[in-house]
Amino acid sequence: MKCEEAARMLPLYLYGELGFDEEERLELHLDGCATCRREVEHQKKMSELLDAAGVRLDEGMLTAARLESRSRLKQEPRMHGGWWSHFGEMFSIRFAPAPVVAQSLGAVALVALGFFGARVTSNGMFSRGGPGNIADVFDPVASRVRYVEPGRGGQVQIVLEQTQRRTLTGRAEDEPIRRLLVIGTRDPADAGVRVQSVELLTSQCGSPDIRGALLDRLQRDPNAGVRLKALDGLKQFASDPETRQVLTRVLLTDGNPGVRTQVVDLLVQHPEDQMVGVFQELLSHEDNGYIRQRCQRVLHDMNASAETY
Amino acid sequence: MAAPAIEFQRMDESALIRAAQRGDERAFEELVRQYDQSVLRLALNLLRSPEDANDIYQETFLRVYRNLHKFRYDCSFHTWLYRIVTNLCLDVLRKRKVRKEEAATIATAEGELNRMDSVPEARGHADPQRELFSSQLNWRIREALSGLTPRERVVFEMRHYEGMRLKAIGEVLGTTEEAAKNCLFRATQKMRAALGDFL
Repeated sequence: MKCEEAARMLPLYLYGELGFDEEERLELHLDGCATCRREVEHQKKMSELLDAAGVRLDEGMLTAARLESRSRLKQEPRMHGGWWSHFGEMFSIRFAPAPVVAQSLGAVALVALGFFGARVTSNGMFSRGGPGNIADVFDPVASRVRYVEPGRGGQVQIVLEQTQRRTLTGRAEDEPIRRLLVIGTRDPADAGVRVQSVELLTSQCGSPDIRGALLDRLQRDPNAGVRLKALDGLKQFASDPETRQVLTRVLLTDGNPGVRTQVVDLLVQHPEDQMVGVFQELLSHEDNGYIRQRCQRVLHDMNASAETY
Repeated sequence: MAAPAIEFQRMDESALIRAAQRGDERAFEELVRQYDQSVLRLALNLLRSPEDANDIYQETFLRVYRNLHKFRYDCSFHTWLYRIVTNLCLDVLRKRKVRKEEAATIATAEGELNRMDSVPEARGHADPQRELFSSQLNWRIREALSGLTPRERVVFEMRHYEGMRLKAIGEVLGTTEEAAKNCLFRATQKMRAALGDFL
């Protein structure tokens, strides 16, 4: 056997995927080849490193996924007797056709968006006659070289990314400002911008899109300060089913005990029977004393056991 | 009348499947419980994003729920389930490739941050030097994994982290054992090249 052939067989050998004869031939080769033996050691080491880098499945994540799945499946038509009605749905994505009125409104919204976009790009955002007394002030352009390629005859091609900075003023309720604040809640580079944007939107949580933006931040923002601020705005909606679902997930998965503490305080204010399982699950892995105590107390008040059976 | 919960735990898989196919929702739930941990772990390992992994979990069991009545034991339930999961994950991985996205990275003021940093890894280290080594290694492994094609990635994850046999992987992916072998070989070669200086 040549080393090239041995090299092809090594991964299969180490994963125990070679047949008896192939393994015999390879081991015979390894006995007489120090280079391939060294390669075996390298691949074993690589395997160990990969093992160490494997992700550990967080118990809270699994519990949250189970609860979400259970609640989603409840909305599905019952399995019994109704399955054949799903025929043809396999591997399909369902879109509910919008009514004609909604389609027309959608078309108008798209045209408006185009108009709005054109104003942003060509004429300075919201300048002259824009809503809410918005004025624009231009700061110097920031540039960043994104791509460089040498060309023929000493020429160089450079792709430059330029950023223009503008200052806009208006009320948080003004539609364009509101939209920019929603974008600000997702700013990947600056947690300060996200916190401020979320804070300015908290008074508008009555609007489903703003509530959706805050729910998104509560679940996904890497910064606990932003998540806590989003939670502030959502407090008054602690009895809303969608908000409760997100709060439940956050309670089970958020790594920050401060966030979990606030969430548990909100959830226990409106105890519902379906929360019993959540509190019981939480008790099985929560290590924060205050949260445990709150769960135990609410389960006691609901005449429920603190353990799952 | 549905069987008591304790009875489901004692049932063998095909009995559970038949009960679930007759519409017994507790049997369905028991069936889910037997596999959902591996489904979530596979999706998390493959996609390296907790949100995407959760989406895959939800979609997988929704499809299982909707289509279990069509399951005819042509293959094992495990194979059928993993076909659903891997097809969904492959779609996500392919879309990422098309969009030329880095796997689950977000831009921050300090540079690119991988969302998996918020997901605990198998081992942690108290020693700062080991921690540094570990974070560099993890970064390199992520880079190497994102350099694999979606199929190589799936084969590698299923063989290395899930411990599945290549024959079973071939069945899940609708290909031959030989093709799965080639995929695994290419994947390990790429990983080996990328991690060379750590070995």
